[in-house]
Amino acid sequence: MQLKAEKLLEQLKILIIVGILILIGQRIGYGISIIEAIPGIILVIAVAMFSLIIKELTPNLKFPAFAWASLTALVLSMPFMPTADWFLGHTNNVNFLGTTTPILAFAGISVGNRIEQFKKLSWKVLIVAVMVFIGTFFGSAIIAQIILKLQGII
Amino acid sequence: MNNRFIKLNLTVLVIVALCEMIGTKSFSVGIGTIVLLPMLFAVVIGILITPDVLGKKLSALKKVISREEVEMAGPFVMLALLPLGVKYGTLVGPDIVKVIQAGPALLLQELGNLGTILIALPIALLLGMKREAIGATVSICREPTLGVIGERYGIASPEGTGILGTYLVGTIFGTIFYGLLGSLSISTGLHPYALAMACGMGSGSMMTAASTSLAVAAPPEMKDTVLAYAATSNMLTGVTGLYSVVLFGLPLVNFFYKKLEPILGKRGNKDAA
Repeated sequence: MQLKAEKLLEQLKILIIVGILILIGQRIGYGISIIEAIPGIILVIAVAMFSLIIKELTPNLKFPAFAWASLTALVLSMPFMPTADWFLGHTNNVNFLGTTTPILAFAGISVGNRIEQFKKLSWKVLIVAVMVFIGTFFGSAIIAQIILKLQGII
Repeated sequence: MNNRFIKLNLTVLVIVALCEMIGTKSFSVGIGTIVLLPMLFAVVIGILITPDVLGKKLSALKKVISREEVEMAGPFVMLALLPLGVKYGTLVGPDIVKVIQAGPALLLQELGNLGTILIALPIALLLGMKREAIGATVSICREPTLGVIGERYGIASPEGTGILGTYLVGTIFGTIFYGLLGSLSISTGLHPYALAMACGMGSGSMMTAASTSLAVAAPPEMKDTVLAYAATSNMLTGVTGLYSVVLFGLPLVNFFYKKLEPILGKRGNKDAA
């Protein structure tokens, strides 16, 4: 239990740093006032911590903290929830794209020790990626075609 | 707080500030528009400053970002993803009623995203990919999948390398690829409404590129419906995409990997050798 609390505290420390990175980034990129966005980022960090705790408590579910974070925010922002206006009002000051830049900066650095392997993959990755793009698009289109036909919409 | 911790975070701060200063850049290249978001610059700069790339030539850089800082960055990715997860939730929550009303077609076509596994996994194995193929073909590999794979296998694992590959290709070429495919896809004979739903893949820029070009190529009276279906589908993928990867995508890709790798994998290796 002691160890778990220490781990969560360490995660909170990193989340606060990520929050600061987002605040500075979106101030530069989208002109969002740092002061005005502080309540929003505190809420975001609170939901993130909540999702980490839920994940710790439900190890058998194998449901990632990321999914818990989305699900929690989804529930808090549904129109008939009393929390919706308050939650959305504040988190609107946290820019969607602004949250993506720190992730990719860390992600870019984190692949550094595998660059040599990465280079070997290059042209194959390109071919596979194109197959992935085609697969998802036509997979969805074919299923939609069948269901829309069955529903009589087309 | 130790030295490595401070060096890593200050470096990321500089990268973030720089990338946001550059901002979103888009330019047309004749057949389409290339959209470059700050996050793309961030991942490129992040990779460039590591010891095996620019660090090789600049010893001062190697002192700031050594293998130890690189090692440390991995767990940070999973935590940095959580605020984005929250934002995804706030995008869908307010429209939950619309999502529920959107109908069986919109819901079921989400399973079509698993088409990535059926088409791309065998090809990845034939090309000699191993566990990288799991990450590269489990889905279209946008941010939510990045989160799932990062947490399950670690972003520096072979699976993580695979997903970052598809992710990077998608970030750079996704918009232009789907911008072309959107209009070209009508010639397959599939109905524009079905194709519209296929445009929602969980990436706003890709959905916009695909659906806009599709709407222009489709009969004029269908234009508004095409755009509406595409936007709703993209919203749905925001909810279902993640669960589809966790509940169906990962078990399925691992199942097919076990079945196909012994057959296709060997052949791919022989070809390479």
